[in-house]
Amino acid sequence: MSALPPFPGAGYPDASLLAPAQDVGAKQKRTRKVKSTKVVDGIEQEVEIEVEDSGGPEWGPRESLKVLDKELQRVDGPVKVSGRATYTHDVRVPGMAWARLLLAPVASLKVARLDFSACKAVKGYLGHEVIEAEETRWLGQPIAAVAAETSEAAEDCLRAIVFEWEARPSVLDREAALKPDAPQVSRRGNQGKPAVRGDEAKARAAIEGAPHKVSATYVVPVVHHACLETHGAVVDWRGGEEAVVHCSSQHTFGFAGDAAEVLGLKKGNVVGLVEHMGGGFGSKFGFGQEGEAAARLSKALRRPVHLMLTRKDEFRMAGNRSGSHIEASAGMDAAGRLVGFAARAHKHGGIGDGSLSGLPYIYKCAESWSEISGVRTNLDASRAMRAPGHPQASFATESLIDELAYAAGLDLLEVRKANLDDQVWHRQLERVAREVGWFEHPHRARPGSAKDELCVGIGFAISRWGGGGGPSCEVEVAIERDGSVVSSVGSQDLGTGVRTYVAAIPAEELGLPLSAVVARIGSTRLGNANGSGGSVTTASLAPAVKHAAWNARQAFAEVLAPLLGCQPPDVVFADGAVQAASGGRKLSWKQACAALPEAGLRAKGAWQAHLQANGVHGAQAAKVEVDTLTGRVRVLHMACMQDVGLCLNRAATRSQINGGMVQALGYALFEERVVDAALGIQLNPCFEDYKLPHSLEIPKMTVVLDDEDRRAPIGMSEAPIVPGGAAIANAIHNACGARIRSLPCTPDKVLAALGKVS
Amino acid sequence: MKSFALVNPTTLDGALEALRAAMDRRGRSKAALLAGGQDLLTELKEHLSEPEVVVNLKGVPGLDAILVEGDLLRMGALATLSAIEGHPAILERAPALAQAAASVASPQIRSVGTLGGNLCQRPRCWYYRLEEAKCIKKGGAECFSYSGRNKYNAIFGGGPSYIVHPSDLATALVALDASVVVLTQKGLQTTPIERFYTLPSEGSILKETILKPDEILVEVQVPLDALARASAWSKFKERASYDWALASVCASVEKDAGKVNRARIALGGVAPIPWRVPAAEALLVGKALDEATIAAACEEALRGAEPLSENGYKIPLAKGLLTRVLRGLA
Amino acid sequence: MSGHDARPEPDAHDSASTTAGVGAQLSPSRRDLMRTSASAAAAGLVAPAVLGSHAAHSSQSTAPSSETLSGEIEIELSINGAKQRLKVEPRTTLLDALRNRANPPLTGSKLVCDRGNCGACSMIVGGKLVYGCLQLAVDARGKEVRTVEGLQRGDELSAVQRAFCEKDASMCGFCTPGFVMAITHCLENHPKADLERIKAACAGNLCRCGTQPHVFEAALSVAKGGAQ
Repeated sequence: MSALPPFPGAGYPDASLLAPAQDVGAKQKRTRKVKSTKVVDGIEQEVEIEVEDSGGPEWGPRESLKVLDKELQRVDGPVKVSGRATYTHDVRVPGMAWARLLLAPVASLKVARLDFSACKAVKGYLGHEVIEAEETRWLGQPIAAVAAETSEAAEDCLRAIVFEWEARPSVLDREAALKPDAPQVSRRGNQGKPAVRGDEAKARAAIEGAPHKVSATYVVPVVHHACLETHGAVVDWRGGEEAVVHCSSQHTFGFAGDAAEVLGLKKGNVVGLVEHMGGGFGSKFGFGQEGEAAARLSKALRRPVHLMLTRKDEFRMAGNRSGSHIEASAGMDAAGRLVGFAARAHKHGGIGDGSLSGLPYIYKCAESWSEISGVRTNLDASRAMRAPGHPQASFATESLIDELAYAAGLDLLEVRKANLDDQVWHRQLERVAREVGWFEHPHRARPGSAKDELCVGIGFAISRWGGGGGPSCEVEVAIERDGSVVSSVGSQDLGTGVRTYVAAIPAEELGLPLSAVVARIGSTRLGNANGSGGSVTTASLAPAVKHAAWNARQAFAEVLAPLLGCQPPDVVFADGAVQAASGGRKLSWKQACAALPEAGLRAKGAWQAHLQANGVHGAQAAKVEVDTLTGRVRVLHMACMQDVGLCLNRAATRSQINGGMVQALGYALFEERVVDAALGIQLNPCFEDYKLPHSLEIPKMTVVLDDEDRRAPIGMSEAPIVPGGAAIANAIHNACGARIRSLPCTPDKVLAALGKVS
Repeated sequence: MKSFALVNPTTLDGALEALRAAMDRRGRSKAALLAGGQDLLTELKEHLSEPEVVVNLKGVPGLDAILVEGDLLRMGALATLSAIEGHPAILERAPALAQAAASVASPQIRSVGTLGGNLCQRPRCWYYRLEEAKCIKKGGAECFSYSGRNKYNAIFGGGPSYIVHPSDLATALVALDASVVVLTQKGLQTTPIERFYTLPSEGSILKETILKPDEILVEVQVPLDALARASAWSKFKERASYDWALASVCASVEKDAGKVNRARIALGGVAPIPWRVPAAEALLVGKALDEATIAAACEEALRGAEPLSENGYKIPLAKGLLTRVLRGLA
Repeated sequence: MSGHDARPEPDAHDSASTTAGVGAQLSPSRRDLMRTSASAAAAGLVAPAVLGSHAAHSSQSTAPSSETLSGEIEIELSINGAKQRLKVEPRTTLLDALRNRANPPLTGSKLVCDRGNCGACSMIVGGKLVYGCLQLAVDARGKEVRTVEGLQRGDELSAVQRAFCEKDASMCGFCTPGFVMAITHCLENHPKADLERIKAACAGNLCRCGTQPHVFEAALSVAKGGAQ
C-alpha cells in the first residue's frame, strides 16, 4: 500500500478554480532550484526541485511578529471542547443507512459459503455488497458489507450472514515466514529484494579492528496508529449527478475521485469533505476498502451510507507501523567514534513491504553496511506512520551506541557528540541533558546497580526529518467590505493546528488579531491542497497562505493608497488599522474595508520556495525509575528540543512535540500487536489489551523550541515520535543494567533482563 | 449486541422469578443478570453471551446498601466500587478492601460497577474475549493460552483452563475471610467466599463460581476484626492508569507483642481463583515480620508455581509485591 | 452447593447505632431490606420472611412488579436539562441513543472503543461520571444526563472548556469531549483538585495525540481559579 501520494503537479494552480473579483495573482515569474522532501514508500527523500518564485512576501524578523511565533489558541478549540465539531463519524443526513463490514476472522481462508438470505429477514435490512467471494490472504480482509436502517440492525444483518470458510495455511510472524517450506504469502515470495548499502567486507573488517565491539539483535514489533476516530466514510448520494462524500482522511482531495468512480459520477461532481478528523498518523490517505464499500452500498441503495469501522475492525484492517528485526554489529574506537557498522535487517509489514530508515540512522560511520529486506506475512499491509521507518532505526542505533559507550567506558552524551558533525544536535543534546539533570547524574558512563530497589536512569536519542514542502496548495484570502477576512484552502487539519495558521498568517500580514480572520478548510470546493503526511503540510501550505495574504495586502494597498495620500508600498497595516508610513490619516480596519468594491477583494497564493525550509533536528532525553522488585518502569521526565524554522504557533507546536513524546512512551513501554500464529488471529484488537498511555503514565514533559534556528517554517511533527522509544529503553539500562533489545519494555522483560525469571 | 428483552424487577422475588422463567427444561438459562453492566455489556457486545432476557437488578431497592453492624460489614451486591473505596468505615476497619476497590479499572467503571458484578465477572483472557477463538471456556476443546500467548495467564491452579480470575475484590475478600450471601430459589445461603470460586478442574469449566443461573449474589459480609484492620493491598498493573492485575496481593496480619498471631494472604492475577497461600500464612505465625521471615514467606507463597512459557515473571513479581505488603504491615 | 455458613444474627439495636454516620445516607427502606434479608438467612429459613412477603405479594398479581421491555420502545430522558422522548431498543446504549436517536443528534460524546476502555463517551448520569457505551439508554430514565453539549451557557463556554482552549488541550479533538467531562466532574466534586487528583480523575480517558500534559495544565488552571 503506498505510503503517501505523490505531490500533485508542480506549477501555479489553475487560476480559473477560484474566480476572483479582483484577481491579483503573482505577476513576477522566475524560477530557482530548492531542496525539498519527497516521501517514497514511507521513506522521506531529499529532492531538488525547480520552482516558480514570485518574490515579494517575507516572514520578516521574528521580533516584529505580532501573531506568528506566539502562543495562539487554536481557532477550532471552542467547537472541539463543546462537542460541536463535526467529524465524519458524526455526520447525520436524512435517510442515512448504517453499514458494517464482515472481515476475514483468520489470516487466510477460502470461502466455502457466503449466504445473505437470512439477512433479508432481519428487520431494517437494506442491502449488501460482496467484496471478496473466493479467498483472502490477510487477517481482517473485508469479505462483505451490509447496510440497514439502524446501527443495531446493521449488526443484526452482519450476524445473519452465513459465512463458512476453510482456513488456508498462513504465516503471521517473521520466523515462520522465513522457513524454507513456509506457506507463500504472495507470488513474489515471503521476502522482498534486499536493499544493500555499503561494503560488507570493509564494514566487518573495521568492526573487527575496533577496540570495542557489540553484536546484538534489536526488535521493534508491529504497532498500530490507533486513531481515535476509526476509518470510514459517509457517502451521501441520493441519485442524481452529484454526491457529497465525508471521509476521515488526511487528504481531502484524495478520495472524492475514488468515490466518483464507484458511483459512476464525474469527479468534479463529487465533493469531498473533511471538516474535522480524529487522528490519522499516516494511516488515512486513501478512500480505503471501507470507503469503497460505503460508496457501493450508497449506489445500490440510492441512499446516504454511513460506514465507520468498529474498533476491532480498525485494529485488523486499517493500518499498522511495520516491525523490524535488526541484527547489528558495530565497533567503536577509544575516542568514541563509530568505526564500523553492519546490519542485516528485516521489515515486517504484513502483506506490504514495511519501512526502515537507513542505518546507522543519523550517526556517521566510516564503514557501514546494511542489507534491508521486507518479510511478508498474512497480515494487513503496514502504512506510513508518523516518521515511517525512523523509530525502528533509532531504537537499534541508539541502543547500540549506548552499548558501545558502556563497553568503552565513555560518557553517553559525549559519545553521541563524537559521532555527529552537525552542531545543532550538540546544543540540543546538551540542553535536554541539562533539563533532566544529566550533569548531576551519577551513572554517565556505566549503568546503575540493580541492587537498589528503585533505580533512576537517563537515556538519550536524536531525530531528524525533512519537513520541506512543495507546490500544491491554492489559497484564497478574501477581504469583504464589512471587514471580514476569510482565508480558504481545501487542506485538512489532523489536529496539528493547520486551521489556526491558515487564519494566523493573514492576520499577521494584515496587522489584525487572529480572531479577525476566519479559516475555511477541509473541502474540495476550496483550493487544492496536498495530503498531510510526512510533515509536508506546513512547508507546503504556509508559504501559499502567506503569498495569498501578501497579494491581498498589495491589492488592498493599491485601493487605500489614494485615500491615505501615499504610494501603495507605503501603506502600513498594523494593530487593526491602516495608515501611511509617514503618518497622517489613520483608518480603522472596518473603515478601510468600506473602501472596497461591493464584491470585496480576493487574492490567491501559491507555494513560495523561499518561505519554507527543509530539515529539522531533535534531541530527547528520558529519565526513568525502574522498580527492580517488580520490573515496573515509570518515566519521570521527558525533554525534547526541536528546531522547526519559524514557529507558526508555539502552543500547537509544543502540543505536537508532547504528542510525539507520549506516542514514543507508548511504543517504548506498551504497544505491540499480539497475534496467535497457530490460530491466525490478533489477540489484542481492542484498547483493553492494546495498551496506550493514560494519564498516570504521563511524565513531566519539557519542550524546548530551538529558537537559534532562524529559517523559514519547516514541517516538524514526525521528528518528536522518533527518539523517545530509544531514549526510554536506554534510560532503563542506565538505571539498573537491564538491556532490553525488544520493544516494548514491559515488566516481564525488565525482570528477565535482571536475571530474575528462571 | 443481540436483541434482548429487559426485565426490570423491583423486588428480589421478581428477579428470582424472571430467572426461573428463563430456564429451559434442560436447566439451561436464557437469562443474564445485569447490575452495573460494566462486564456484562462488554460480553454482549462481543457476542460471548447472547441472552434472550436480561434481568436488571438496579430497580431493586436497597441492594446497594453498605452497613456496619457491630463487627460485621454488610455490603449489598449493588454497592458500587466507588462507594466501597470511599466508605469511611471500610477505609478504617478493612483498608485493603477500600484499596482493592480503588485499584479497579477507571473512575467511570467504579462509579457504576458493582460489588456483585466485580465478583461474578467473567475472565479477561484474550482468547476468551475473542468471539472467533472457541476456547474451552466457551465450550471448545482447548485452552489456547496453554501453548499460545500466555503472558497474562495462570501460574497456579491451571488446567484444563489457565485463566486468572480478574476480580480484585475477590482476592481482597478472600484474605479478609468474607462470606457471600446467595439468594437461591429456595432461600438465602451464606458461603465463605473461598468456596464461592471453583477451579477449572473442580466446577463447571464454563463458569468460575458455584452460582447457578437461577441464583443471585445479594450480599457480601466481612468480619471487621483486628485482622481486617491490619490489612493491606497491592496490585501491579502493567499500565498504572487502568489495567487488570498482572499480580496482586492482599495480606492481613494480626500481631501480638511484635509477633504474628494470625495471618491471611491471598494472591490475585495468578490463578483461576483468588489464590490463598496457607503455608505462607502458617510460616508467619509466631514470628516477627523481619526481612528474613518476609523472604521466607514469599518463597513459600510462590512454591509450587507452574508458569507457562511467557508468564514466569509472575513469580518474582508476586514475591516483590508480597514483600512490600508485608514490610508495610511490619 | 456446600458450606453454607450462617453468621450470628446481628443485634438490630446495636447495628442501628453502629451504622449511624456510615450508612446515614441510606434511606430507611434500603436499610430495612438489607437487614431483613440477612436476618432471614441467619435464621436459616427456607422461605425467609422478606421473600415470603414478596412472594405472597406477587402471587396476588400475575404480573409481579417487574417491567419487561422488548422491541422498539419509547422512553423519556432528561438530557442537559431538557426532557426528550426517543425510540430505543432495550439493547440501545445511552451513547447510541444520544448519537443516533436523539433529535437533534448529540454527537459530542464519541464512540471510540465501544468497550469502556477509552473514555471518549464520558458523560455524567445522575451525578456519576460514566461511559455512555456501557449504559443502557433505558437505565438512564429518571436520571439527569449531562453531556459535553450541555456545559456551555448560550455561547459562553464553561470554565473548564475555556481552560482547554487557553492551554491548547485538544489536538485532533476526538477525545476532548470525554476529557472535558471527566475534568468537569472532578472539579465539580473537588474544586481545588491538585495534579494527582486530576490525573486520577482522567485515568480512564485515552488521548492518542498526546494532549494529556495540556489537559492537566487546563484543569489545574481552573482549580487555581485561573479560568473562572
